[in-house]
Order: sequence, then structure tokens, then C-alpha cells
Amino acid sequence: MEGLLILFLPLIAFLVIGLFGSRLGDMASAILCVLGGLFSFLFSLWATTKALQEPFSVKLYDFLPLGNYTLSLGLYFDPLSSITTSVVTLVATLIFIYSIGYMHNLFGQWTFKFYAYLSLFLFAMLLIVLSDNLLGIFFGWEGVGLASYLLIGYFHTQKKAANASLEAFTLNRIGDWFFLFGIITSFYLFGTLNIVEIFSKLSEIDKALLGLACLLLFGGAVGKSGQLPLHTWLPNAMAGPTPVSALLHADTMVAAGVYMVARLYPMFENAPQSLKVVAVIGGLTALFAALAATSHTDIKKIIAFSTMSQLGLMFLALGLGDKVAAMFHLTTHAFFKALLFLSAGSIIHAFHHHIHDIYEAGNLKKYMPITYASFLVGSLALSGIFPLSGFWSKDMIVATAYEASFGWGLLASVVSLLTAYYIFREGFVMFHGKERHHGEEPHESPGVMLIPMVILSIMAVVAGFFEGWYSKVFGAEKEIHLNIAVLSVAIGLTGITIAYMVYIKGIINPEKAYEALKPLHTTLKEQFFTERLYHKVLAYGYLFYSRVLYATAERQLIDGLVNSSYFGVRALGGLLKAIQAGKLNLYILFLSVGFLALLFLTIFWR
Amino acid sequence: MSIEKAYILISIFLFLSGLLGVIIRKNLITLLISTELMLNGVNLALASVDKMVGGVEGQVFALFILAVAASEVAIGLGLIVALFRLKGYEGSSEITHLRE
Repeated sequence: MEGLLILFLPLIAFLVIGLFGSRLGDMASAILCVLGGLFSFLFSLWATTKALQEPFSVKLYDFLPLGNYTLSLGLYFDPLSSITTSVVTLVATLIFIYSIGYMHNLFGQWTFKFYAYLSLFLFAMLLIVLSDNLLGIFFGWEGVGLASYLLIGYFHTQKKAANASLEAFTLNRIGDWFFLFGIITSFYLFGTLNIVEIFSKLSEIDKALLGLACLLLFGGAVGKSGQLPLHTWLPNAMAGPTPVSALLHADTMVAAGVYMVARLYPMFENAPQSLKVVAVIGGLTALFAALAATSHTDIKKIIAFSTMSQLGLMFLALGLGDKVAAMFHLTTHAFFKALLFLSAGSIIHAFHHHIHDIYEAGNLKKYMPITYASFLVGSLALSGIFPLSGFWSKDMIVATAYEASFGWGLLASVVSLLTAYYIFREGFVMFHGKERHHGEEPHESPGVMLIPMVILSIMAVVAGFFEGWYSKVFGAEKEIHLNIAVLSVAIGLTGITIAYMVYIKGIINPEKAYEALKPLHTTLKEQFFTERLYHKVLAYGYLFYSRVLYATAERQLIDGLVNSSYFGVRALGGLLKAIQAGKLNLYILFLSVGFLALLFLTIFWR
Repeated sequence: MSIEKAYILISIFLFLSGLLGVIIRKNLITLLISTELMLNGVNLALASVDKMVGGVEGQVFALFILAVAASEVAIGLGLIVALFRLKGYEGSSEITHLRE
């Protein structure tokens, strides 16, 4: 029962806000939304304590009887799903609270919609996490896609936001297509969609076909988690409100891909070839996004690229066979990335949503001390500095990478270096240096925004200490490798030092450096021209193709055929018009002719 | 040919000439008279078939038809006269309100 409440409280909140939001008012809707998330979190804590002792499942109902197999929907609580549920609901609740402050200036403009969408999103996300079968995951998968589309395009009067939401939806759709086919393949292979039943049948399955199913399922994860080559939507999704970016595009929705692979990990383990693909895609994305983040100047896009990069690291860990490291990094990442986004949102809020470039802000340390502290904690955690949470989880990934091969380890280290550099570049430019803002002075955000940030800061610091406990829950005791830990911290500090030297000490003038390395800078900033390729070649090419078809096939062929049929219809109509002339005598004639015909039929039809 | 068959032939002739009148004539009063002709043809047929089979139901039916025809003529004639007074219509082809 409590298990059901975890899932359905957000849904109830969504329905109530969606149906009665305009009468309840925006503030009441926001509070309902927060309450839905909060109680969901409390119940999920209860479920976690229970699931840690013994996994249990809750059956919802039989969805579809198919021959001798009945497709039933249900919830499955084991350590993986219940801990993830707790993290998702906690972060979601904090962000819901934060959004009351962030959206406050929009209250009175149908803002209850925003909270309805947020609740819908939370419901769909929990469905992904808790579902005990692939079909339920797919429902949630589509649900978060829809919520993401609605929330990215929330400021739908801005062309940028509308385009970004469309792009996100389209690219997610490609991923969903793979995912759906993965589900169909799994059903074909196993004859069931229940995850637990699938795991029990793994040994009987042909490895090659299993690999195909895994790759298709991973395709869905690539779309949802913004990995190469379906990545361009994630940075553009930053057109949505900042709480949305924090919740959907940093912590939960994009993490659904990683979670799904972790959830179905036994399948992937039985098809080792597919794990190699996962590792390669993850590693490439981690490097690619980290490089792109170093040259962008949009406040939120840098963090978005950072998200892509960290998700890439998680996939790398999954691909190298370390599920625990990936899931633990997912957990800690949820805290510190939400913290970074909320700090960025706090800055944007302070400037009344008018600035979006890091070079428009400067020396904010003086005006916004709490935001500064939160951002600093988030950045240190992201850079993997001891003893913040990022250190513990990232260390596990880097250690796994070095164990796998030196190449992967080097890649992870390079990504860590870039990570520390780009996040401190952003922090130093915005919070230090000279004041660049014009007009009125920025002010610290209201308490309703600061409290979630402070709580997240605390979580970002302490979450790492649960590493030992977390590993034990999943039965994977891991030693901290001292040399790798020292190496990671040293790399993180190096990155921070480089950023410090360049952006505070001014050893190298960054603008001149960018000018000198312009081709490289442009390449990185344009994400190796992938975005341009997608937009200009694929999307525009498709549009061009459509226009050509419209001009030829549509206007000439189909319209021509339709137009030429006009003469035939007209001639036939002229004939038929004569008998519908409205003449009483003619009608009587037809009546008697018809009657006669019927009479002859009945008499002579023997 | 027995006398009953001759009566039936006459009734068919009456009915068909009434139908022809309805089809080819346009004057409303003529139309009304033609329908009366058809009704009377039917009456004659009912009565003569009764004579042939030795029943009475047909004759009873014919009496009813006479009564209905009388009231129908009263109403129809009233309608036609009212229409003529109101609009000045005489022919069926002039009543074209629903067509246009």
C-alpha cells in the first residue's frame, strides 16, 4: 500500500493541480506539488528500509492477457530501485520548494501548469524506477519525455524554447524507437517482460540475439541520457526554467538511461560485446562534452555539458563492469549537479532572468555569499576534491577505468581535469573578477530558494561517506586505491589551479588565448559541428526534401488528379440533378415506376 | 369472361387513368380529382373481389375508404384554395420553396 502511495501521490497531485489549479491558485498548486513529492519521499524511505532487508514487489493489475502469458504491471522494490527512488524524490522535493521562489514573479500567469507538469514528471520518473517490467518502464519513459517536452517549452512564447522542446522530443523519439524495439526483442527472446523472470532465464538465451536486444535497449538510454550521437537536445534544453534543468536535465530524467542499464545489468553482463559499446559511447561522450564545456559561455549550458560528461563517465563505468560505481556516482551527481543548477538559477533570478552569459556577471561573491558558497561546494564536489561526495564516487569510476586498461584510465583522468577546469572557470568568472553588471545591484535570493540549496550542499558534502554502506548493499566491497585517490585529487586541484591562474591571476588573457586558438575554440564550441550537422544538414535537408515533394508530388500529382476528377463528378452531378428537380409529377412517376418494379420482382422472381 | 373480371379491368383502368392524370397534369385541382379517381378504382376492385370470393371485409374497407376520401377531399381542397388565395398558385410546379 505504501509502495503504491510513493508512485501515486505525484499522480494525484498532478490530477488535482491540472483539474483545479486555476481555482486553487498558483501558490496552493505549488504547495500541493511539494507535498506530493515530500510524502512520496517519506514513504520511499520506509520502502527503502524494508527493501534493504528483503526485495519485495507490489502487483498493480493485469494489463494485457496474451495467449498463455499475462502482461501484468507492478512495482519492484529492491535496494537499487528503492535507493534511487529516495534520491529522486528527495532532490525533486527540494527543487519543487526552490521553484516556488524561482517562479514567484510569474505567479498569476497560469503557473499552476508548471507544477502540474512537475508532478506528472515525478510520477513518470518513479514509474521508470519502480516498475517491475519493461513495459512499465516504457510507459514512464514516454511520460518523462512528454513532461520534458512540456517543461522545456514552458516559456513557449520564446522561439528558442519552443524549438528546443521540439528538438528534445524528436531526438528522444529516436531513442524511444530503439527502446521499443529492444523491448519487443526481449519479449521475443524471453517470452516475458518481467525483469525478475528475465534474469532467471538469461542462461538459456542465444548470446548474439541477447546482444542485439541489449544494444537496442541501450539506444533508448542514449537518447534519454543525451549521449553521442543523440546529444544536441540536452544543451538546448536549457531554454527551460532552471528548476526544470536541475530536475530533469541534470538529476533524474537524463539519469534514467543510466538507471535503466543498471536495472537490466544482468542482461548486459551476459552479452559482453554490448558492454563494450556502452563503454565506448560513454567514454567518447564524457570527453566530447567536457571539451565542449570548456569553451561555452552560457551559464546553464556549461553545467549541461558537464551533465552529459558525467553521464558519459557513468556509462563508461557500466561498460567496464562496475555497476555500483555508476549508480553511486548517479546518486552523488544528483545532489551536487542539482546544487550547481540551483546556484546558477539563483544568479539568473537575481538578475531578473535577464543574463545568460557568464561574462555578464562578475564579483557576485560580494552580493550573493550563500549562492557563492553553494556553487563552490557543488564545484568542489564535481571536481572530485576530498572529502566531498564527488571524490568518492568519481574515485570508484577512475579506479575501475585504470583496472580495465590504462587508456580508459587516462581518458577518465583527462575528463576529470577538464571538469575541474571548466566548472571553476565558470565560478571564477561569475563570482570573482570585476563587476560587469549594469543597473541595479544583484541581491541574494529569498529563503525559499536558499534552504533547498543549503540542504543540497550538506548532501553534496556528506553523501560520499555512504560509499562503504552503498557498496555493501550491492555486495561489492571495494578498497579505496590510495594512489588513484591521490592522483584524482591532484588532477582536480590542477584543473582548479589552471582556472585560477587564467581567470583570477590573469597569467594568460583568456580572450587573447581564444583568439589565438580560434579554430580549435570554434570546433569545441560548436560541439565538433555536430549540432550544425543535425540542424543544417539533417533537419534542413529534410525540410528541403519536404518542400520539393510538396511542390511536385503534392501540388502537381495529387492535386492534379483531384482537380481532374472534377469534370467527371460535374457531369454525373448534372445527370443526377435532373431527377431531383422538385417536380411533384416526376416524383410520382418515379414512385410508380419503383412500385411497379418491386411488384414485378415479387411476382416473377421465383 | 365473367362480369367480375370485367369490373376488375374497369377498376384497373380507373386507377391507371388517375395515376396518369397525377403524372401529366399540373393543375392542383386536377391532381386532386385524379387521386379521387385512383381511390375509386381501388374501391371498385375491393368490392368486385369480395363478390368473387364471397367475403365482406373488402366492402367494409371500401366504405372506410369512401369516408377517408371525403375528408381528404375537404382538407385537400381547403389547402389548395388557401394556397391559391395566399400565393396565387395554380400548378404544382410553382410550389418550389424547398428547392430554392
